[in-house]
Order: sequence, then structure tokens, then C-alpha cells
Amino acid sequence: MPAWSRGPVDMVPGVVPVALLVARTDTHAVLIDGLLVYPTGFDFDLAVRRHPGLPRHHPDPRVWHELWLEVRFADGRRADNGPGPWPHPDDDRPPDPPLLYQSVSGPDGGHVWLWGLPPPGPLTFACHWPAEQIPPSQAALDAGLVLAAAARAQTLWPDPSPP
Amino acid sequence: MSASEPPELPEEPPEVAYRRPAWVEPPADLVPGIVPVELILARTPQRAIGLSGIRAYPTGFGCTLHLRLREDIPGEQSNFGVFNMFGDGVDPAGEFADYYLRFGVGFADGRKATNLNQRHDFDEGPAPDPPTLWLVRWEGYDRLAWEVDVWVYGLPPPGPLAFVVEWPARGIPESRVEIDAGLVLKAARRAVPIWPDPPRR
Repeated sequence: MPAWSRGPVDMVPGVVPVALLVARTDTHAVLIDGLLVYPTGFDFDLAVRRHPGLPRHHPDPRVWHELWLEVRFADGRRADNGPGPWPHPDDDRPPDPPLLYQSVSGPDGGHVWLWGLPPPGPLTFACHWPAEQIPPSQAALDAGLVLAAAARAQTLWPDPSPP
Repeated sequence: MSASEPPELPEEPPEVAYRRPAWVEPPADLVPGIVPVELILARTPQRAIGLSGIRAYPTGFGCTLHLRLREDIPGEQSNFGVFNMFGDGVDPAGEFADYYLRFGVGFADGRKATNLNQRHDFDEGPAPDPPTLWLVRWEGYDRLAWEVDVWVYGLPPPGPLAFVVEWPARGIPESRVEIDAGLVLKAARRAVPIWPDPPRR
């Protein structure tokens, strides 16, 4: 798999010590959770929560295709999960960061990889989900938390070559 | 109504609100408190097991296991056999148990939960005595890396909280890393409800 599509496999990530509530209506909430950071980018869970007192959703929504998600850096760069020209997996040239790459998706959200680290300043997550009446919503955290976590990622085998 | 019109269908009965039991997964209506732990539980020249990101709730805590192979090993998958032990109940603690990665948590009062003794009846029956351990998400990138999210039902008492791995067939002896359970207890108190008010229907 290309380096831009996941975190380095020979590292244990650093942890961002906050979860972020990006949107909330009477029935739904969108949560950014499990922010795990590598020197090349970060993983997170895009968690869709439904009010436990409400009936189960039927049929299950296609979260990744219906819920629009955008990540914005303080310098104006941004990445979203909309349809777009995807880098070819076999292309050795890494795409310009940031790039959102979804790896697992289900009715409760998805697991997302963002290629690229943010500059200092606010790191903003924005979403919009018309099918579930979630209006345009956003929340931000201090990108310094992400950068500090990246610096704590640990290399599993620091020596250069396997024995 | 004429004979050519279809009969009216009765309305479908309303779906019943359903909550999965607390021992199966984290509560859906809370934002967790997070403990930024980043641990290497075991490491050999070819294999490593890391653990990160404790998400704490009043009913328990979740974390992520990082299963890593340094290079492709023919015939070996980087899920370390953990699925067989977690999910399918294959030979728990039996003849082949040495060939699977064992993972568990140990509380200061002696209670523990491991992937050797987890329940497999999903959400039926009475609540188990905590702690119990469940696999809630797994994701494999290729033969080198897997991520496994674990849910531990039940909070530890104050004192050391141990994470333990062992893989006899691959030369990983019982390896134990401890953290202060107080960090998890404090984080659990930081969990906040997403909907503090009763729902409007």
C-alpha cells in the first residue's frame, strides 16, 4: 500500500487527548474520536451516534457517501470526502497533502486516514448531512495537540535492517 | 375503492428502540474522556504489539491494539490469530491456544479479562461480572499491520492497571505493562453526555 494511504506500519502512534463533537441534532451526533497521529498524518474515527431513545434507523445510511466531511488546516488547505480524482494506488508519487482516505465505513461511521499534518493553529472538522437533517456544522481543536502527538509516535524497530 | 386499486397496506409497526448491552460496546450517547497512553506491549525482532488511546466511559474503557510484523513472513498473518480467539471461539485455551496471541487486562484487585475467556453469546443473557473484554473493530491493511479496537466492560479500581500479552508459539513470553488506573478513572469522569436533555419526540 502506498505511504500516503495509511500510517507507517513500523510505528505506534501518538494520541490526541480529546474527542470532538462536530455536530448534534435531536436525533444524531457526529463525533471525531480516536485521533492517532503519525509523522505523516493521522487516523480518526468518524463516529455517527444516534440518540439511544429513538428507533433504529432503517435502512442503514451509507455514511461515507452521504455525510460530507471536510478537514481544514489553518493555512487554508483542506481535504474532503467528496468524489474527486483519486491518486492511483500504484503511483509512487505521493499526492499533495492533505488528503482524506476512508478505509472502513459502516452505519455507525468510518475509520479515516488523513495524509498530511496540519500547521499550528486551529484544525477544523466540518460536516453536513442533508439526508439526516444535520445542517452544516463544524468544530476545531488546537493543531498543536496533533503535532505534539506526532512527535510522540514511536518507531518499533529503530535499527535500520532486520536481523 | 374500485377493484382495480390496490388495497391499502397497514402501516408498519414502529420500530422498537434498541440498545446493545453495556458489556458489548461503549455507550453511544457519551463523548469519552481520553487517556493518551502510547505503549509497546511486546517487541521481538520480527513482531510487535502496541496499545494506544484509552477512551474511558463510566461503564468501561476502549483502546486500540496495533499488531505489527516487521516484514512479510510466509504463512503468517499480521492479525496474529487474534480473531480466532476473540471472535469464533476456536479452541479457547485448548490445544492450539499457544498459536494465538493472548491479550488481557488485569485489575489491582486481581480481577482480569482476557481473550481466552470472553463470552460469545453477544447480547443475550444476564450481564456478566466485569471486567469482560470484547473486540469491537478490526482493520487489516495487509500482511504487516492490523488495528484492533477492544472494549473492556468495567472500570478498574485504583492501583495499577495491567495490559498483558503472550504468544507462546512465536516466542513472546508473558509481557506486562502497567499504568495508573487513576488516569482511566479520571478520564471516565470527564465523559460527557451528547444529549444532556431528554429527547424531543
